[in-house]
Amino acid sequence: MKIELGPLSRIEGHLNVKTTVTDNVVVDAQCVGEMFRGFEVILRGRDPLDAQQITQRICGVCPYAHAIASSYAQEIAYGITAPANGRILHNLIQGANHLFDYLLHFYQLSALDFVDITAIANYKGSDPELVQVRDWVKAELASKKAFPGAPFLPRLEGQYLKDDDLNIGALKHYIEAMEMQKKANRASAIFGGKFPHATGIFPGGCTQKPTIDHISAYQALIEEVRDFIQQKYIPDLLAVAHGFPDYWHIGQSRGGFMSFGLLPFTPASDSRRLFASGLVLDGQVQPVDFDLITEDIKYARYSSASGLKVNEGELTPAPEKNGAYTWIKAPRYNGQMVEVGPTARILVDYLQGNNPQVTTLVDRFAGMAGIRAEELNSVLGRHLCRAISAVVIADFLLAETERIDPGAPAALELEIPATGEGFGATEASRGALLHYIRLQNHKIEKYECVVPTTWNCSPRDDKGNPGAMESALIGTKVANPAVQIESVRIVHSFDPCLACAVH
Amino acid sequence: MLNRREFLTMAAALCTAFGVSNLPEPVAAALKQIDPRTIPKLLYLQGQSCSGCSISLLQAKEPSPLTLITRYCQLAFHTDLSATSGSQAMSLIERYLAGQAGPYILALEGAIPEKMPAACMIGDKSLASLLESAAKTMTAAIAIGACACDGGIPGAEGNLTGAIGLPEFFAQRHSKKPLIQIRGCSVHPDWVWQTVVHLVKIGMPALTEAGSPKLFFDRTIHETCPRYHDFQEEIFAAKLGDSGCLFKLGCLGPQTKADCSSRWWNGGQTWCINVNAPCIGCASPLFARQKDMPFYRMNKKKA
Repeated sequence: MKIELGPLSRIEGHLNVKTTVTDNVVVDAQCVGEMFRGFEVILRGRDPLDAQQITQRICGVCPYAHAIASSYAQEIAYGITAPANGRILHNLIQGANHLFDYLLHFYQLSALDFVDITAIANYKGSDPELVQVRDWVKAELASKKAFPGAPFLPRLEGQYLKDDDLNIGALKHYIEAMEMQKKANRASAIFGGKFPHATGIFPGGCTQKPTIDHISAYQALIEEVRDFIQQKYIPDLLAVAHGFPDYWHIGQSRGGFMSFGLLPFTPASDSRRLFASGLVLDGQVQPVDFDLITEDIKYARYSSASGLKVNEGELTPAPEKNGAYTWIKAPRYNGQMVEVGPTARILVDYLQGNNPQVTTLVDRFAGMAGIRAEELNSVLGRHLCRAISAVVIADFLLAETERIDPGAPAALELEIPATGEGFGATEASRGALLHYIRLQNHKIEKYECVVPTTWNCSPRDDKGNPGAMESALIGTKVANPAVQIESVRIVHSFDPCLACAVH
Repeated sequence: MLNRREFLTMAAALCTAFGVSNLPEPVAAALKQIDPRTIPKLLYLQGQSCSGCSISLLQAKEPSPLTLITRYCQLAFHTDLSATSGSQAMSLIERYLAGQAGPYILALEGAIPEKMPAACMIGDKSLASLLESAAKTMTAAIAIGACACDGGIPGAEGNLTGAIGLPEFFAQRHSKKPLIQIRGCSVHPDWVWQTVVHLVKIGMPALTEAGSPKLFFDRTIHETCPRYHDFQEEIFAAKLGDSGCLFKLGCLGPQTKADCSSRWWNGGQTWCINVNAPCIGCASPLFARQKDMPFYRMNKKKA
């Protein structure tokens, strides 16, 4: 039978997944990106300094990753290097955005897949927030509304955590996480100006000149977020893992892994990073070469040529194209399908032994769960790798604040050359992000973005090989084919961002 | 037929949205107490958007987002928060649009690809077709953000999909339903939530000529800018990172009507000009419209 899982919720944007189920097993899956805007064409001919602003509007969840990738690309195109303060502020802004995003993803976007929110009706304690929610839920259920309890009800049929204390504790943390994510965003706004869509980020640094009052406020906010991560997020994640151990083995993608590396230690474009860059194929790590990335479009709604390199990219929409089922292109690395995102970021780093803290945390948590590093390629593995990223990033950000030279400039005076080009690569929270800019006559001649969810929600390539999420869904056993909460949990583990994927 | 209670509930919801005076006493009392039966239900749909406005709405300070969606309104559906998905979600949306789930206010974030309906689908329906249904059954609509008001970045020069905002879309279809336009890329959470609170407690807010609540959009950023003094004294920033008035770097505060300069962002933490970043006019109907109107002026002599 054919079942569509869309419109998927608790993701960013417009995603459908078309499945075919035989004997309670998903035998085919197609990821369908259902929204298209055409950013690359809108950028063409504009002033290059518009780019780090316009590209933030690709995604309102991870706008800073786009601003940073665009800034890196422009720095290379202009032949400039940020002052030390400039790069540190880039890092402080981008890192805080990762922390916000991991909390949002675990609590607001994923927890309701596992946590039984109806347990709140049995709450007998006196916590004012939980009492407020309990009384609200009871009043809603007693009302004659068509859909009481929205947006938390209705929900998909399935097995949820059975322990009321765990459920109610997680719900309390759902509410607290809503406050914590604001603190992470306030921290990044101190230097970026606002969240979302910061105006203070430029190639070569940031317009804010960091002083001690900014630094201490940032530290206090990030310390609170770090404590929440360590004391609540990690235990809640482990409780979910304990309740759903099968999900260490459900949702494996069937290709390689790629990370572009995150948070450089110095302003140099080739600086070592907190998380290393690399490509994992068959358990072996190799360096990434952007020249080997191409985008297939046989199954995507474009009439431009297929298999083009990033710096040759084209964009001609063809909504009625025969055989095409999505607006998402199919990026491939040297012809190979890869998964990007938290598991890729952690595995690429772990297998190179780049960051000792990553190694320690992977060994500790994998040991607690009784799994091997390879099993991080799973629903729970993706969740765990997000949490490990969060711990490592929070510690780094606090250390990074101590390296600021208070009062020293964090920006450069910019002169845009007539010609130039550059790649800018970083890790958005959802994975490997690549921007490419080429200038002609001081204007943007070409701008291309290859975005994490483009990799993960990729359709078949021209050879017919599925994308990462498609491959992770195929073979999944589902209790109720019409509902497929198992498939929905796999989709959510990738944290899809469709506005990013198509843009 | 509706019974008395159902009638009162619906009347209150309608009055709430329209701000009708001389309410029947029970309805007026219900409104003052924010009766949960009468709070507006927001059917929140996303068009060609980045979700930045939704994420901004989660940055609300007081009241908190949780209080806002449990006490002041009900989020009937929202892509980022709803537990439901798939056919269950689609039937919920369609029951509202068919007018079978009670009165509701449409909230739209994102532009509408008027010339290429396939460029924004929800389930198997185009956004455009869903909005045409909504025009018939909704009580009122709120356009949230630059894209929903004017087309925003998807509607900027180079627009491949015919992206337009909700006012233009409804005008083409002769909808006369009340429509509130809240600009910004993204919106400030207060602009939206306090408009909802206004609807609940007082009724329809007074609007500017651009259809936006006067409470937030009556004056330019420049008029109330803390650096207005620098402007008068001609203390100008000459290069990125300088303090002083940012006018000579291209600051669009003088052309942009919004209260950022007094409200500040992220719970009052800071705002663009406080970090020496020129205003890029994201709350202006002309935001990012033309390729030859760059955000910054520092490269003017070389262009």
